[in-house]
Amino acid sequence: MLSTYVPIVGLFALAAAFALFSVAVAPFVGPRRYNRAKLDAYECGIEPVDQPLTGGRFPVKYYLTAMLFIVFDIEIVFLYPWAVANDALGVWGLVAMVVFIGTVFLAFAYEWRRGGLEWD
Amino acid sequence: MTPETAGVVIGTGEAVIFWILGPVALAGALGMVLSRNAVHSALWLVLTMLSLGVFYVVQEAPFLGAVQVIVYTGAIMILFLFVLMLVGRDSSDSVVETLRGQRVAALALGAGFAALVGAGIARATQDLPVLGLEQVQGGVGGPSSGNVEAVAGLLYTRYLLAFEVTGALLIVAAVGALLLTHVEREPGSRQTQKELSRARFLTDRPQTLPGPGVHARATSVAAPALLPDGRLAEDSFATGIEPEQVEQMPRPTGREQLGSPDAALGSLDPTLSDTPGGRTGGEHR
Amino acid sequence: MIDAPDFSFAALSPLLLVLGAACIGVLVEAFAPRDVRHPVQVGLALTGTVGAFVATLLLAGTREVTAGGALAVDGPTLFLQATIAGLGALSILLFAERSLDPARSAFVVSAAVPAGSPRDRELVTTQRVQTEVYPLALFAIGGMLLFVAANDLLVMFVALEVLSLPLYLISGMARRRRLLSQEAAVKYFLLGAFASAFFLYGLALVYGATGSVRLRDIREAVTAESGGVLMVLGLGLLVVGLLFKASVAPFHSWTPDVYQGAPTPVTAFMAACTKVAAFGAILRLLYVAFGAAEWTWRPLIYAAAIISMIVGAVLGLTQTDLKRMLAYSSVAHAGFLLTGVIGFGAGGDGSGLAATMFYLVTYGLTTLGAFAVLTLVRDGDGEAGHLSQWAGLGARSPLTAAVMSLFLLALAGIPLTAGFTGKFAVFRAAIEQGAWPLAVVALLASAVAAFFYLRVIVLMYFSDPVADGPTVGVPGLPTTIVLAVTATATLALGILPGAVLDLAGRAAIFVG
Repeated sequence: MLSTYVPIVGLFALAAAFALFSVAVAPFVGPRRYNRAKLDAYECGIEPVDQPLTGGRFPVKYYLTAMLFIVFDIEIVFLYPWAVANDALGVWGLVAMVVFIGTVFLAFAYEWRRGGLEWD
Repeated sequence: MTPETAGVVIGTGEAVIFWILGPVALAGALGMVLSRNAVHSALWLVLTMLSLGVFYVVQEAPFLGAVQVIVYTGAIMILFLFVLMLVGRDSSDSVVETLRGQRVAALALGAGFAALVGAGIARATQDLPVLGLEQVQGGVGGPSSGNVEAVAGLLYTRYLLAFEVTGALLIVAAVGALLLTHVEREPGSRQTQKELSRARFLTDRPQTLPGPGVHARATSVAAPALLPDGRLAEDSFATGIEPEQVEQMPRPTGREQLGSPDAALGSLDPTLSDTPGGRTGGEHR
Repeated sequence: MIDAPDFSFAALSPLLLVLGAACIGVLVEAFAPRDVRHPVQVGLALTGTVGAFVATLLLAGTREVTAGGALAVDGPTLFLQATIAGLGALSILLFAERSLDPARSAFVVSAAVPAGSPRDRELVTTQRVQTEVYPLALFAIGGMLLFVAANDLLVMFVALEVLSLPLYLISGMARRRRLLSQEAAVKYFLLGAFASAFFLYGLALVYGATGSVRLRDIREAVTAESGGVLMVLGLGLLVVGLLFKASVAPFHSWTPDVYQGAPTPVTAFMAACTKVAAFGAILRLLYVAFGAAEWTWRPLIYAAAIISMIVGAVLGLTQTDLKRMLAYSSVAHAGFLLTGVIGFGAGGDGSGLAATMFYLVTYGLTTLGAFAVLTLVRDGDGEAGHLSQWAGLGARSPLTAAVMSLFLLALAGIPLTAGFTGKFAVFRAAIEQGAWPLAVVALLASAVAAFFYLRVIVLMYFSDPVADGPTVGVPGLPTTIVLAVTATATLALGILPGAVLDLAGRAAIFVG
């Protein structure tokens, strides 16, 4: 059973090894010629500042975004087994899923109509 | 811990993974409780959750493992971190005890509870035969079908009602989040695109503001644009950002004057020119 | 091919009505213009709850297990569902009261505006209301209807969450004393989440011990091997989770704070409906799943009953705020209800189930009425909850004082009120099962508790009115209906309890 995962573990090991190798070797083989341009913030970026204007706090609006993310994440999790077993589940499986998606969509409609998705 | 069995023999791979990741999961849990910094706590928790995800996969429940990683380490942890950032990364717990002896009592009771449940579980599972998941997850078409089908077979039959009612839970969660965080705008207090554009054409400046002075010589959006005479274009200051004096790169006039291409891109010397816009003096003109 | 589970939509109809109304309520919030929302929501919520009430009456006599075996629709389910739907409809009426507060509602204008901010002060006088409370309350009622019918620990857990989450939200939405209300919501949420975790842990252990979360399979496993360590541990944790919801001491510490901070209609709703739902689930869990292992939980429930009665009665004495006093009274009553649970007997042959269900009806009606009276007596800052403010109310507003006295007498268990018949029924059931020490403690606790109820009555009738005392508001139609129904029922169930006792007796057979 676990042998199925051997290639994945191998790939992980390979990826980790490559990352480690790159980090470890780069300082020795890479040329180091610093200049002002390399130390600048990237195009359209700004110089990092210590504290954002609001004293280190995120606006509470992100909470709404995160909550919506979770709601739809969970919906997807339920969709997945349904999709895999769709042949066996038949029409009532579809009905059950439609009812579920319908209820979750209510939440979305509410959020949208009450302006929860507008940013400013 | 890993009993020898009637049904299924636990493979070496599984045992090895358990003994490696078990301590890791435990360390993550301890780290979460003991960290002073809330963000560190959250990251420790991620470690524990990832280890648990691997455990599920190893115990032949790959779907559960994937869900653990996607929902818990993905969504839930994002929410945790957001909430930590909302509260403020630097705000720390008050260490004042409002009830005297509370902490000691909590420690003692917590340790007692852990010992009780731990001992109980250890005793109850001591000589338990191990059934492979194949025997447990009946579901579709018997033991040969996969984990996901087995989950679907239960979720959409025995637990169909629970599944549908979860929808109600999700609605309450979304409604509650909006209710507590979103201050509704008064109707009519927001201008439409049309009104905004009308208002703009009534001003002296119908066109857009000039962009920041971003070009190949200064990469920050904080660099103001320059007018032809070298003055700063005040319209181009980005909102909320202090305009910065950016050291301009020397103007290349020829390879022989500048030496290597790297030297042409400026020095690490922090001296800024005092000319507006950071133009260096005359020698390159 | 996986076969579709059997779904009896008729047996599910109370649940479907309430949850359907809640979903439509969310749509109304999304699409209806602001000024029509309140009447539409109230209508919708009343339709849902009254519809569910009627549906349970029509279903009377049904005994079946449906929804793939997840739901048991039997006598106790329908009786308790009818109780929850009825009390829920009355609570919705209290929610809908618009003539008492000068700003025309007990609920906040916008829950997201920080308390005390300039915008908040600006909104104080607006007559708008956050009408989401109605769909949220409906979701909570739907969860309770599911909770008492759950034939499966997993469904029970989902129902527990569905009933709890909306309650956490709406207890933080008081219009006045907003910080107190928000504090109550946070406390309730944190402790409630903790209790849910206990329930979930217990569920996992019971699953590990018996190999199933279905109550019938658990019973078979328990009968076969009479339970191991895992099962006992799991049962203990499950019971902790449920006793928390029922606010039984020593898991009651949230009760006074939350009851005091939440808007009074919400407090009434919680005190009446949550208690019914929690005890319905306790009875079903203990007797359907763990009836064969009675020795494991009986001492636990016995001890919890005694602690709860003593804590409720003694701490109730020291309270000066009426809402807190009623909260401790709720703790004490949870103890009395547990004597009924004990009185069910090992083989389910005792009268404890019928007695407990009857007690739930009487307590729900009485406590709902008492909280409704609390909403009438007001001063400039909202409701006047302090005991001293109630001094001399009998002279100023004889009717209000009389109705309140009736409810207090019923809570104390004085004969000719519903409280007496209820107490009599549960104590008798406990004594029949040989639990007479428990009944003795219960009688003593009742006597102590009676003291603080009577103290309020004495204060209302035999004290001089305070100079700048509170005013007694004239209730609008909704509160009047609630007061009329609860007062009549409290009297009627005290004088002629026969019909309802009979009904409870006939309903008291579990299927599973």
